[in-house]
Amino acid sequence: MLRILHNTKIDFIRLWKQAAIVIVVFLIPAVVMIAMSGFNWSIEFTGGTRIQLQFQNAAEVSAVRSELANAGFPNAEIATFGSPNELMIRVQDPTAIAQQDRAAGAVVTAIRAALDRRFGEGSYTVVGAEAVSAKVGDELSGQAAIAVLIAFGITLIYLAWRFEWRFALATILATMHDIVATLAFMKYLNLEISLFVVGGILTVIGYSMNDKVVVFDRVRENLKKGRKLPLYDLLNQSVNETLPRTVMTGSTTLACLLALLIFGGDVIRPFAWVLTFGIIIGTFSSIYVASPILLWIERKYPRMAVDKAHISASQARAESQVEAAPRPIRGSKAPATGRR
Amino acid sequence: MTNLKYRLATIVALVLASIWALWPRTVIERVKRNGVFVYDTVQRVPLKRGLDLQGGMYLQLELDESKGVVSDKEDAIQRAVKVVRNRIDEFGVAEPTVQTVGNNRIIVELPGIDDPERAEAVVQQAAHLQFMITDETNALERALPRLDQIARDVGGPTSQGALGDTSKSSPVSGLEKLFTQDSGAKAADTTKADSATSPIPPTGGPISGLLQRGEMPGEFYITQENVARAEYYFSLPQIQQAIPPGKAVKWGADTMSIGGQIYRTLYVVDSRPIITGESINDARPNNTPIDGTVVEFQLDNEGGRRFRSETAKHIQDYMAIVLDDRVMGRPPVIQGAIGTRGQITLGRRDMQQAQDLALVLRAGALPVPLKIADVRSIGASLGDDAIRQGLSAGALGIAIVILIMVVYYRFSGMLAVLGLMFYSVTTLAMLAGFGAVLTLPGIAGFVLSIGMAVDANFLIFERIREEVDRGKTIRTSIDEGFSHAWSAIVDTHVTTALTAAILYQFGTGPVRGFAVALLAGLAASMVSAIFVVRTLFLLWLNRTRGTAPLSI
Repeated sequence: MLRILHNTKIDFIRLWKQAAIVIVVFLIPAVVMIAMSGFNWSIEFTGGTRIQLQFQNAAEVSAVRSELANAGFPNAEIATFGSPNELMIRVQDPTAIAQQDRAAGAVVTAIRAALDRRFGEGSYTVVGAEAVSAKVGDELSGQAAIAVLIAFGITLIYLAWRFEWRFALATILATMHDIVATLAFMKYLNLEISLFVVGGILTVIGYSMNDKVVVFDRVRENLKKGRKLPLYDLLNQSVNETLPRTVMTGSTTLACLLALLIFGGDVIRPFAWVLTFGIIIGTFSSIYVASPILLWIERKYPRMAVDKAHISASQARAESQVEAAPRPIRGSKAPATGRR
Repeated sequence: MTNLKYRLATIVALVLASIWALWPRTVIERVKRNGVFVYDTVQRVPLKRGLDLQGGMYLQLELDESKGVVSDKEDAIQRAVKVVRNRIDEFGVAEPTVQTVGNNRIIVELPGIDDPERAEAVVQQAAHLQFMITDETNALERALPRLDQIARDVGGPTSQGALGDTSKSSPVSGLEKLFTQDSGAKAADTTKADSATSPIPPTGGPISGLLQRGEMPGEFYITQENVARAEYYFSLPQIQQAIPPGKAVKWGADTMSIGGQIYRTLYVVDSRPIITGESINDARPNNTPIDGTVVEFQLDNEGGRRFRSETAKHIQDYMAIVLDDRVMGRPPVIQGAIGTRGQITLGRRDMQQAQDLALVLRAGALPVPLKIADVRSIGASLGDDAIRQGLSAGALGIAIVILIMVVYYRFSGMLAVLGLMFYSVTTLAMLAGFGAVLTLPGIAGFVLSIGMAVDANFLIFERIREEVDRGKTIRTSIDEGFSHAWSAIVDTHVTTALTAAILYQFGTGPVRGFAVALLAGLAASMVSAIFVVRTLFLLWLNRTRGTAPLSI
């Protein structure tokens, strides 16, 4: 039987303070950067025009740029896309968006006219063109935010019903952390936030909750066994017990994402990046964000007085660096009624 | 054993149903043959490809309230949808989608369209047709002194600065679309030059100086240089109010050339139309030697009766045919009572435009003006690339998953792979059954959900290993492994499904495609992990009678 990470007794949660420092160090610069320059929103959210062109010969980016500047689009972003023959032109500045508000295709027509003048008709083909009005964009970002909030609300209620509110709250807070971390990651890579990428972020939410639910499911089960183990040890034990599954699922999903990153093409790539990071951070936060939050909630609002004593005892133990790993329940003669 | 039989029968039935749902079948649909759309039978897998995969056009139309508030938006948009759908059906698109979003938007998807500009025009044109009698009473001439006075009080566009500016800012925003940026600027320049060199003719004021009498009553000519200025004046609300009651001013659609000078025509007409386009029940393009391109139309019985009695009252008058506030061609004189047939002269316009006009007249006028808020066109080649890349990524992803499962769990891993095959077939069948559209995000969601489907198997197999470690029998370990993993599997699937459902509810287009693929994947994954893989284990237990060691 091939086994990895079998029967581990790692005291994961002991390292939560170091983990918190890592998180803060990762997040602070990104938050500052976002506060200063905002996100790289796609035209779907800001309004604007995007045209994908395929030239017969390698496209001269500088010539296209100067021609577009002459045509009144000095701020157009021009980049090759895929092959050197393909160009992606993005026009997102307010004057162009205002021009679009009167006639959606106006910018596309103007750009095509300018390029026809310079390179001649038929020297390129328009592979794809998009023009979005600012109003549609505003509504879209509003909708995405509302969707996330509602998803959180409903998940909170579901988990509170299936587990209890402490677990639900810890799950939601940890997932929020994952969203912020994913956004920070996107800021570092300067990835464009498109509708597709937002779909990726929402998938990260789903995956991250999935991972927390699996760990908490173990905690719930171990709690039901009625053994008087402090929550701290119980969490560690549960994380260890689910570790093989966590690693296997994580690596399989990452392998699929790797395939998407390499072969998925330019359209899928930003989406694959978001998911790759999101899945790593989602797994990490199950252990280092959700669990400490649960411990903190438990200390503030203890379930039972007896648990409180255990928790503080275990905290003291953890802080004095006494070996805190619990004895695994493996081979224990726990009564069958304690399980489902 | 009977239990096992039922389980197997269920699985076989599900697989057969899925294969049936995915089997290529003969469908009748519009296809493009030699550049024309025709209905034909084609053999294909019943999984529709989205716009991003097959190319086409996406339009979002919004209720345009810039020219007046629409009171009952819900009703207006519903009627507009009907008209748009009629037009698109006539336009000939393989499988168009027309749907409303909220109470003021229409989304139109036109797969396979390769002339976006034409499609845009056909969808958006108001196509409001009116037949109006030109003014016989010299109403405008009599009102001109007053109009000149108002124009002097307001001041002309030249006194406000360059006319080029006004064409960019608000006062004439509705009209500047008639000009390209260039000619607008040129017109402004010449106007400025004019007013600098030669002042307004002594015979006329700011407005009357621009107008020259035409050949027929109610007709005026305006030289091309003065058009922008005249349009500015006639768009002023004060001027609009001062136009004699019961009369309306309409611009001609075309320019005409008299003795080397280019003119636009302006008509003063009775504001009450004798008949509108609602009565048209057929319209066909035609090419005539005398009038050039025309659209011949036929009125319904009711409309024909009214048209006959109205035209009988106006014999020897001129009748302007007004389409979307523009007079088409030159108003013909009414020789006698006209019955149910007539024609609209398009002058120099080509046959394509006549076809499109006939099309929108048949489909009816838009009840409210629509404005394009969002337009996307996706080339077919882009879609082909995306499919190829998506498929290779998907194939590689699946290969990696199979490898990991079989290497790590051996025999049990193979059972899981069988479960995954079941999962893939049923997921695709569900997508086909719901008529879901396969989009790029959809494929990504599918590839990803394979990874998540495996998660359920990992949960179960790890539990079985734990139970085996505790020294339980193989049969008990398998039973307990499944029952212990059950709660985690349900909770993870439900939370993800809730998120996907909300995505579906609030998302549009691509996000929805992703959510649908994810939901179908989650449902199939539950059945696959909990039911199918378990049945395979039971089958194995039944054959070995619990004596063989479990390879997991």
